[in-house]
Amino acid sequence: MALALRAAAVAATEGRTSMRPLPAPSPLIKTLRGTIALLPAYQVLPAHGDAPPAFTEVGFRYSRYSEDSIDAERVIFGSSQRYDIDISQFWLEAPVGSNWAVALDIQNDYQTGASPWFVGAQVDGEPGVIMSGASIQDNRLEVGVTTRYFWTDGNAGFTVSHSDEDDYESVSAGVDLSWSNESKARTWSASVSTSNDRVSPTIGVIPVFIDQEDLDTQSGYFGVTQILSRTAVLRVGLNYTYSEGFLSDPYKLNDERPSTHERTALSAGFRQFFIAADGSLQLDYRYYRDSWGTDSHTLELGWAQNLAQGMVTPYFRYYSQREADFYSAPADRSATYYSDDYRLSTYGAYTLGLKWAINVGDWVFELQGERYKSGGGWGFHNSEAAPALVDFWRGTVGVIWRFD
Amino acid sequence: MGGPASIVIDDDSPPSDGHEALFRSLHARLNELESRYSRFRAGSLINLINLRAGSGMPTEVDTETATLLNFAAELWRASEGLFDITSGALRKAWDFRCGSVASPARLAECLPKIGWNLVEYENDAIHLPLAGMEIDLGGIVKEYAVDCIASRIRKAGASSALVELAGDVVAVGKQANGQPWQVSIRDPDGGDALLTLSLCDTAVATSGNYARTINHAGRRLSHFLDPHTGWPVDGPISVSTLDRQCLTAGAIATVACLKPDRKAERWLEDADLPWLMMKSNGNLSGPLLETASHQ
Repeated sequence: MALALRAAAVAATEGRTSMRPLPAPSPLIKTLRGTIALLPAYQVLPAHGDAPPAFTEVGFRYSRYSEDSIDAERVIFGSSQRYDIDISQFWLEAPVGSNWAVALDIQNDYQTGASPWFVGAQVDGEPGVIMSGASIQDNRLEVGVTTRYFWTDGNAGFTVSHSDEDDYESVSAGVDLSWSNESKARTWSASVSTSNDRVSPTIGVIPVFIDQEDLDTQSGYFGVTQILSRTAVLRVGLNYTYSEGFLSDPYKLNDERPSTHERTALSAGFRQFFIAADGSLQLDYRYYRDSWGTDSHTLELGWAQNLAQGMVTPYFRYYSQREADFYSAPADRSATYYSDDYRLSTYGAYTLGLKWAINVGDWVFELQGERYKSGGGWGFHNSEAAPALVDFWRGTVGVIWRFD
Repeated sequence: MGGPASIVIDDDSPPSDGHEALFRSLHARLNELESRYSRFRAGSLINLINLRAGSGMPTEVDTETATLLNFAAELWRASEGLFDITSGALRKAWDFRCGSVASPARLAECLPKIGWNLVEYENDAIHLPLAGMEIDLGGIVKEYAVDCIASRIRKAGASSALVELAGDVVAVGKQANGQPWQVSIRDPDGGDALLTLSLCDTAVATSGNYARTINHAGRRLSHFLDPHTGWPVDGPISVSTLDRQCLTAGAIATVACLKPDRKAERWLEDADLPWLMMKSNGNLSGPLLETASHQ
């Protein structure tokens, strides 16, 4: 068999830079790559030093979140319509020189609809909901900037962001660090962040009883990602968050929560790639508990299937939560702390979703749809369903453009 | 390996144990591959397998060799027998250095000893059943060597390097100044570069018949030989392909050179890697003409 002789010359010079990603592998290339995948030379292809993104990436994503109407039989007064939220995200990430990258993230949420004001008793004694009316409109704009430095074994980022809406303002800052061992098989991640929030509720159709309150939050994370084999990756992480200040919901009549909130979450993720199927199994678990007596389990199972031009990922998520110590419906106002917020109740939920990414040259088009349903008896802890448990649909379309 | 080697490691991303230790390690790895897979070297594994042809004595092979043999077998199947590591026996009929055309009698003698399907290969032991049979991994080992060197550089912690072995290239990361590596594909006719590629973590492999040819009856006969007929293929002058790894890029380019122009184009389209072909009439074709930049 003939060898290629000297047909290429190389030169390390500056020149054109409009790189394009290689196309998705054809069946022939997949077969050939699969044959040699066990050779050590092909097991660590990504294991080079950390580097800024090779491309500038610009993306836009629009999501529509729409809650189902609340069951009319459970409404004592008010509209049965609930929240709809239009979420628009724009981001830009670009390399700066050989060691830096900068990212800009902008998100705008526009929400309309009604939310439960409080839980009372219906004629038959069963709990029912008094809604806030369908006149709520709110807009939130969040802008964040991240600068990131890369070196051979890792990268570090610094993020500041500001979020503003009619009745809520938040300023936050954080640093994160990621570094790998010599073989690049293990990566540690750590981050800390702090935020200062100011609540100044606006009076609409329902009364509010505070003028202005503050909330401070600090959070830390430590995690490790270990490459188990050339096709399997495991990640575990621990997150701790501490908040102090005004933690109640000013738009709920019966809501008096403690002024501190400690939250701890242990998370794990496992990815197993199957060469023959050209897809990967995604398994994620998260255990959460907090100082209010709530704990929860989240289990997500997904399958990411590579396609000729993109990837499709169906997924299923299960969630089970135990209620906070001070939750009851209707709320017990004689207690020090009380709340009838359904989000603090005992319940279970599942989400069925599908993500589809389509690659066309330098462009990626995204489609995603998911259905979320919840029920009082669906969790590990059986309970009477809170009268305002929510079900929703969420749909997302997005486009990403990468260029050099 | 059939040509010079060039390894450039950008100073801004030094290997963890220093440049000198890394270059010693790379040199040792190249020597190891050469001594194991060169059919010319007495005592090489390939030489031993060929010496035992027809003896009834199988030769055990290590995992790396078995994997390369499996790759060659897969390529033989995919190319419908055109890529055949047993076709080295045809060297006894053709001498491209002297420029002499094979005689029909010599071809008739060689052809029965060619065919991967004849090889007894199981349980990581290989035996060539006919005396005079030969295998030659030269069609894939050079490209594999480039991948091995690039992998070793990455493992050493260097994030910016360019590896070239006799025309096959792997770009590791970008240059330290953030610019992609610039790799030119040379015009086989000796003119300027056909095009210049901007590469990052990408391999480019080139196969061509222009370097060793025989002029016969007014035709330029290629050194790419059809293992079914033993006769030179009237195919492309050169083919370059890009992939994440040099071995697959080189394999696709080499098989393309074993086909006539039209079939070569169809093969390259099926492989769906970026490619550039100089056809037998000297015209260029392929998607790399439209864009010269890849990651």
